[in-house]
Order: sequence, then C-alpha cells, then structure tokens
Amino acid sequence: MLAVRDGDLDCMGELFERHHGPLYGYVAKLTGDRTAAEDITQIVFQRMLKYRHTYRDQGSFTAWMYHLARRCTCDHFRRSAPAPIAVDPSELEGRADDARGADESAAVSDEHALLHRALSRLDRDDREVLLLSRLQELSFAEIAGILECSVGAARVRAHRALRTLRDQYHRLQKEPLT
Amino acid sequence: MNCQDCLDHMADLADARLDEKTADLARAHIDGCAACRREYDSLKRTLEALDALPADAPSHRLRARVIGDIESEKLTLRRQAGWASSIRAAAHARRSRRLALLPLLLPALGACALLALGFMLGERTATQRQLADLRSRVDTMGQLVEQSVLQKETAGDRLQTVLAAGKDSRPDERVINGLINSMAFDTSVNVRLNALNALYAHADQEVVRAGVLACLRRETNPLVQVSMIDFLVAARERGAAQELRKLVGDNQADADVRESARRAISLL
Repeated sequence: MLAVRDGDLDCMGELFERHHGPLYGYVAKLTGDRTAAEDITQIVFQRMLKYRHTYRDQGSFTAWMYHLARRCTCDHFRRSAPAPIAVDPSELEGRADDARGADESAAVSDEHALLHRALSRLDRDDREVLLLSRLQELSFAEIAGILECSVGAARVRAHRALRTLRDQYHRLQKEPLT
Repeated sequence: MNCQDCLDHMADLADARLDEKTADLARAHIDGCAACRREYDSLKRTLEALDALPADAPSHRLRARVIGDIESEKLTLRRQAGWASSIRAAAHARRSRRLALLPLLLPALGACALLALGFMLGERTATQRQLADLRSRVDTMGQLVEQSVLQKETAGDRLQTVLAAGKDSRPDERVINGLINSMAFDTSVNVRLNALNALYAHADQEVVRAGVLACLRRETNPLVQVSMIDFLVAARERGAAQELRKLVGDNQADADVRESARRAISLL
C-alpha cells in the first residue's frame, strides 16, 4: 500500500488479488447479501485509491482495509431498510441465511445453513466482532483499532458474541422442522 | 483456577489466543469440572462450525469492476501529468517570447516604450499570478477532481453553475479558473462545451487562451475539440499553430478535427 500511496497503482492490482476474497467473505457474512457485498467490496477498493494519500505506515494494512470496510458497510446499512428482508424471490438465493436454496427443510438440515441463520440473528455489532476475530484472524489490538474501542472491550465483545452465536445455533438445532 | 476465571478465559482458549501457561491452567480446570467442560465443548463446537463455513466467493464481475477502477485512475493520473506539463509549457513559451521582444522594443520606443513596458509588466504579473494559481491547482489534482467530479453533484447542477458563471460580465480570477477547470476536468461533454462558450467573452485574457490550448491537448471528444479549435481561431491565438499541426498529423484523431485544425492553421 505504501507503493500505491507513492503512485505505483500497479500494486493496487496485487492488493486486490491478495485481499478481495477474505474481504468479500467478511462483508457477505456481515450483510447477508452477496450483491451488496460485491458493491461494498468495490467501494472499499475505490476508497483505498481515493484516500491512498492518507495511508500511514502505522499498524497493519489489513486493519486499515477492514476499517474502511466497516465504514462502507455502515453506510450500506444506513441506506438500507431497517428490516433487511428480501422481498424479491430472485434475491433470496443471494442471502446468507438462505444461501442453501429455497427449500427451507433442506436448509434447516444443513449445518452451514443453520449457522448462517444463527449469524443473521446476531446484532450487527456482535456479528462484526465475531467475523473479525475468528474468520479474518485479526488480533484484538487490530480489532480494537477497527472498532475504535479498547483492546479489552474488543475482547469482551468477541466473547459475548461467540456465546450469543452458540445459544442461537443450539436453539435453531432444537427447533422442529417446518 | 476457579470456574469464573476459567469462564473468562474459555473463549480465548477455544480460539487459541491464550498464552501456554494460562492455557494449561484452564485445561486442568476443565478436565476436573463437568460444567466448565460442557461450556467449553459447546463453544469449541460453535467455533469449529464457524471455521467449517465455506468461503463466499465473489463473481468475476467484481474483479472486472475494480480493475476498471484502477485503470481509470491510472488514466486520470496520466492526463493530469499531461495537463500540468502543457500549462507549464504554455506559460514558459509566453515568458520566453516576451523576453525576446523586450530588447527590440526598448531602443525603438525610448521613454514611451518604458511606459508601455511598465504596463505590460503589470499585466504580465497579473497573468503569471493566474497561471501560477492554475499550476498549483493542477498540482493538487486529486483534490480538484474530488471537488469537481466526485462531489456527487449531477451534471445538470454543474451545468447550471457554468451557465451562471457565463452570465457574469466581469468575473474575477476564481470564476475564470473555475470555468477552465470545468472545461478541463468535467466528465460531461455538455458542461465542458458550455464552459468553453462562457470563456468566449474573456478570450482577450492570456490565461484563458493558454487554458483552452492546454485543454485541447487532453480533450478526446471531437465535438469539444472542434469547438476549442474555433475558439483559438476566433481569439487569434497564434501560439496554437504547433498544437494544431500535431492534430493534423495525428492519424488517430477524428477526421473532422483534423480538417478543422488544417483550416485553423491557414486562418491563423
């Protein structure tokens, strides 16, 4: 990113190849909307280009990237309706909690679908800290920088989120098939 | 380690974030405490399920879109570099030409020439100030583009701004520079054309003619290119001859643009 900041935009392509997969995965799980996740991922890279002059060699690039991603995702949620329910049947396939297909019985029997649904039931803040800490493998210091809180607060939030996810997951496992 | 301490460390233990010593203590407690073992196992299983989630993969469109953004940015940087160097070259050429004329004027005109020279120097100082201002603006192109292109205003709004500036019969430097900026950087052809039209009334200013000439080099739309050539002819800008000759010889240029450039050379 330092090379990009200094005008070598070819390096931006390398950064994209290296980071877009995990970044997209994070945003897709956070929003539960694959189309929006692609849009947000693109916006994150656009902002990297736009604000490359502001990048400082402090902390990790990954943390900076997720900081931008968090801002972009917040913008997305602000623009979206408060209840993120897809009403267009064509969009249902793209939703994380329904990603296994339209057949609800099949989805419930799928452990991944169950976990996706459990994730979608978490508060956005809990989902965010959990995804950052577990799936993106960031340190609590980096997460604290992204969430703009103390390291201790980041750790407590991650632990609480994990327990909430566990409870939701177990609850869904016990729910009768409909 | 008691149950409360173990619970505090349990998520970190399951997530492999504990130091070895604390981890050993926590494991020892969990081995001997059924309640904590149940809690730990359930957290561990949840984390394992989370890890087993298949990675979401974006479509190929995302790559195409982002690479397109990067290429656009590279193109903008190249154009900025060309624009900045053309403005500098225009200012340098004018300065050289005037300095060459001075020795001829002085002995011939005597005291009157001194007066005229004083007037010219005053005018030049003002023009150079404007050119310097333009150069500094071009040097900070990133900010400029953000202001003029990425400010989210619609093309209609920007057009209104340009039209309002054109109605100002005695615009100050900022308005003139704003019009040149719009002519140079606006993404809308309509806005660029109207900015050029608004500058017709100020064609007597050197900075305006230098700006149009610099914009002609970076302009890609044939309609705007032909309008700029017409402007330079109307303003009798003889310094445009070299650029016009380049256009005539440019096989990539539009045929109408080349014909306009050829006609302009003969008129100038």
